[in-house]
Amino acid sequence: MDTAILIDIVKSGLVLGALYALMATGLSLVWTTLGIFNFAHGAFIALGAYLAWQFSSADAWGLPMVPAILLSCAVMFAIGALLHFLLVKPFERRQDIVLISVITTLAGAVILENGLQLIWGARSKQIPPLAEGAVEFGALSLRNSELILMGLVLAILLCVGLFLRYSRPGRSMRAVAQNQDAAALLGLNVPLYFSMVFGIAALTAGLAGVFVGTIRFMSPSMGSEPLMKALIVVIFGGVARFSSPIYAALIIGQIEAFSVYFVGLYWAPAVLFFTMIVVLLIKPEGLFGKYQRTL
Amino acid sequence: MSDLILDVRGLSGGYDTTQIFSDISLQIAEGESIGIFGPNGHGKTTFLKTLSGLIDPWSGDIFFCGQRMNREGERGSRKMRNFNYGAVTRRRIDPKAVARAGLIHVQQGNLLFPELTVDETLSIASTAARGRKGWTLAEVRELFPRLGERGSHKIRFLSGGERQMVSMAAGLMAAPKLLILDEPTLGLSPKVRQELCDAILSVRRLGLPVVLIDQDVAFLEQIIDTLYLFDHGRFSGRMGKEEMPDHQTLMDMLFGEAH
Amino acid sequence: MRYDPPLHKTQGLLPLILAAVALLVYPLVFEATYFRHVMILAFIFAIVATNWDLSLGYAGLFNFGHVALFAVGIYTYAILAKTLGVSPWLAILAGGGTAAIVALLIALPVLRLDGIYVILVTIALSQLIYLVVISWSDVTGGTSGMVTLPTLKIGDYRLSKDGRIGYYYIGLGLLALNIAFLYLLTRSRLGRAIMALRDNKYYAIARGVSEARTRALTLTASAVFTGIAGAFYGAYLRVASPDAFGMGFLTLVLSMLLVGGTGTIWGPLIGAFAISFLSEWLAGFGPWQNIIVALAIILVVVFYPGGLWAALQQLREVADGLRSQTLARIGRRRGKSAREALTGARERMLKTRYGQIAVADTGPTTGAGKPALLFLHGNSACKEAFYKQFRSFADRYRVIAFDLPGHGVSDNADPETTYNVDAYTRIAEEVLADCGVTRVHVFGWSLGGYVALELAARGTVEVTSLAICGTPPLAVVPDDMGRAYVPTAHMVLTAKQYFSREEARSYGQHATAPLSEESAFLHRAVRRTDGRARAYMMTKLSITDWPRQMRMLAEGRIPTAILDGSDDPFLNHDYVAGLKYGNLWKGAPQDIQDGKHAPFFNRTDAFDLTYFSFLRFAENDHMAGDAPA
Repeated sequence: MDTAILIDIVKSGLVLGALYALMATGLSLVWTTLGIFNFAHGAFIALGAYLAWQFSSADAWGLPMVPAILLSCAVMFAIGALLHFLLVKPFERRQDIVLISVITTLAGAVILENGLQLIWGARSKQIPPLAEGAVEFGALSLRNSELILMGLVLAILLCVGLFLRYSRPGRSMRAVAQNQDAAALLGLNVPLYFSMVFGIAALTAGLAGVFVGTIRFMSPSMGSEPLMKALIVVIFGGVARFSSPIYAALIIGQIEAFSVYFVGLYWAPAVLFFTMIVVLLIKPEGLFGKYQRTL
Repeated sequence: MSDLILDVRGLSGGYDTTQIFSDISLQIAEGESIGIFGPNGHGKTTFLKTLSGLIDPWSGDIFFCGQRMNREGERGSRKMRNFNYGAVTRRRIDPKAVARAGLIHVQQGNLLFPELTVDETLSIASTAARGRKGWTLAEVRELFPRLGERGSHKIRFLSGGERQMVSMAAGLMAAPKLLILDEPTLGLSPKVRQELCDAILSVRRLGLPVVLIDQDVAFLEQIIDTLYLFDHGRFSGRMGKEEMPDHQTLMDMLFGEAH
Repeated sequence: MRYDPPLHKTQGLLPLILAAVALLVYPLVFEATYFRHVMILAFIFAIVATNWDLSLGYAGLFNFGHVALFAVGIYTYAILAKTLGVSPWLAILAGGGTAAIVALLIALPVLRLDGIYVILVTIALSQLIYLVVISWSDVTGGTSGMVTLPTLKIGDYRLSKDGRIGYYYIGLGLLALNIAFLYLLTRSRLGRAIMALRDNKYYAIARGVSEARTRALTLTASAVFTGIAGAFYGAYLRVASPDAFGMGFLTLVLSMLLVGGTGTIWGPLIGAFAISFLSEWLAGFGPWQNIIVALAIILVVVFYPGGLWAALQQLREVADGLRSQTLARIGRRRGKSAREALTGARERMLKTRYGQIAVADTGPTTGAGKPALLFLHGNSACKEAFYKQFRSFADRYRVIAFDLPGHGVSDNADPETTYNVDAYTRIAEEVLADCGVTRVHVFGWSLGGYVALELAARGTVEVTSLAICGTPPLAVVPDDMGRAYVPTAHMVLTAKQYFSREEARSYGQHATAPLSEESAFLHRAVRRTDGRARAYMMTKLSITDWPRQMRMLAEGRIPTAILDGSDDPFLNHDYVAGLKYGNLWKGAPQDIQDGKHAPFFNRTDAFDLTYFSFLRFAENDHMAGDAPA
């Protein structure tokens, strides 16, 4: 194989991996903290893209890109917290929360997606790329937008990771994730932290949506494929710690890039799912996982 | 009234539709320490969880330092058995408010936060004190020297005794006015047990009143002023320190000689 | 303890027959093709949803690949019937086969996983199948799917003719077969193993249930009719589209399941019809259709997680409460003189804080100045159970008995607070206080025996003697019940809320006497009893202070007699005899020969003699006790 092709595959794998890491982070945050799987995550991604379009596009409000993204982050955080209040909180003390939250988040996703359809219509839209032009590093050619994407994703994940690791609210959030009762008995505001986690998850999903929106055309159901990718990442890597879905995303990105090259665009997703199932059969808790959810 | 630190009046409660305890009254005077003795599975832990707000009380009142901890009134009737009352009713008691008021509950066999380190856990506990003066990290480490050595270890990797120590240390740093210890020495080796008992004794000597649940009468005798017998979801007896009989006699009092 | 009455002896029979007849006759009366179409789809979805409930509700195994099994059925039909030219009827059967095989493949990785992991893995697997179907476009038609599949024919008759009536009946037939299959399966050994694993996994495994084997069988069994339904769907709509794998379809079927209610066959069945019609009704509203359906799902799940089936049960409970309360009201007015003639005592209604209580009391007539004797009746009986004792004891005693709340002609009451031994005891105290009685001999039968024990243990009324019958005293509840009682199906009936005619007869027969002219009123009392009194009593056991009763017996302050029937079918006589008593008459239980559970009714003479001599003993004993002091 040609080195240039190889470098190109690895590069596109990296870009994909970065994007998948951002998509999966929110999903695994919610899972580890609340013990539920948020099926509205894909809809969050779509919503984030549409909000960013609404704020930034010349056809709509036409704000500059940075304030537009910041504004959509804030709105996404609020919506995430709100949906937690409506869809998950009413049965936080029930035994069957895992199953019930599956159906309520699925229903929430249906409402969000159809709401997008109602508000913005089915006509395809796209967010302008974050930057034009490209840079060359020897054989490697990187578009500026890809560089920005990778840099931003790295920065965002680093921020979230450091927040959880070192800040007081982050630490409390981890405590709440690991043992709600003990946290409450020490005076922590458990429902508040739950809402915050949902908000942060929605925020990261929204950012992922912005990036997806710059690459592809937007549609209300644009989140369903990323949701599946995030699902693969989370299962593949396990959720033992904050970083495990990130490593998994990078690996998945490479596998996808290589399989697109070798077996073609059509079969590549099947390869991904197949790899994931093989991993599950050998190590059900995921590559980096321990069979226990913690944050 | 003002000389009561904890005043529980006619408290009833349980899980969802199953009543576990009923009509419990308990008055603890300022500075008084009490012990609760009773067989397992009769609702002691559920009662304590209700006191500290993890479970909603059905009826009755809890006053701590003269301040009402629960919302007034009885829990509404739950006649529609399948209706999710959790979705429409507000919690009747808020565990964080209870903790912040200074009633700190150290749970039975508490695993705390398995993936947090000892130091992280203790720093969270001091947040809960909210400006009131709790124990400092240095004081806690003096009480449990082992915790100083284990500061950067995750709780997951600690032994059962050490976890219990972290639990208690966290409780102390949360600035308790009254400390509830639910079977702190359950399932520990004799040596570690002794260490914990000594720690509890020295905490007690420093003037912090405790509510201690334990199965060891000799140990209870050292710590407490008053002993309550608990079975079948109610207090069936109350006795001063001097009147306390030995373990076997207590069991007979609870169950008759048939058991 | 196993209690599985056959279908024709349960109360479900009548509604089932009515529904079946309605569905059979419906297309003959109404010819609108569109509604038949919605019905056919509802039949198909009902099959998918009920089978999903087998894994999800009965087994607690969240198989989110279930809808993929349905899609597998569709594609099996499409490929076999169209591409390979196999007979459509065979292709439909084959749909079940391939779905079962795929289910087995799905089962392999989830055999040892738990909870949310099962959801994720099964979703991933169904996505894998979906991707294979999409990518393998030579065979499956890829994203555009397959169209113009062969239709079903019988001879030359196309089933789509005559307003699709053929499809309607085939769909209905499949649904009926499917329900019969699930009904039998859930009542089989396998079905009980499935539920045992769900409810207490480790206990079930310890008792020898194989988790892996049971899970694999559950998933495979749930696939058969799902695949057949898929194939039938393909034959009916004549298209196979990869949309059947999508999240939208999954959400639809899952909502039928949860809106209907999990853990029963009937819940998803109702849910399938409700959601099918709701979403068809909203079909013209574009995106609003999905939004409204999703909102409805959220509302049901948030506020009423048991779903429509639970709502029906709630309605039924309200109706049954009204029925039994009306029976009490009617009986109160109409039968009063007959009851008074039977017992020879005056009946009056006493207002207590638990509602109106009917009290029979010989006080106003013949009882003045005599020592009081209180009779407490058992579960699902009434105060007239003691009418013979009223006759034999009235000349020496003031005999009092009352109907427990929810029984006889007393009011129904708030089940939460009233239907338990504690409240019954308080009512007994109120009744005695109203009669102006402070010293009383108490006789308690069965449930009434516990009330008697509690009354004596509380000590607010002076109980001068205590006799119990059919009541093994308990200390640790519910642990002791296993030793105190003989496990029979009757134990299940004791706490069962609704009785079919058959069950009421069985209960009455075993608790009192076989149905005869003499015992007919006791059998009527079973029918009148508020079912909630039975159901709630068992959930409120923990609020009674049982050891206090045991301590009271051991202390022996009160002379006590145990007068069980020697052949009481429920009691463990050795347990009763082995307890510690401080003041037991003649030192041992005095069993009444051939007395069954209600010796005072069945062997009145022997019982009356024994009880009478006990009362004499107790009175002398009491005097003897008083004299030295």
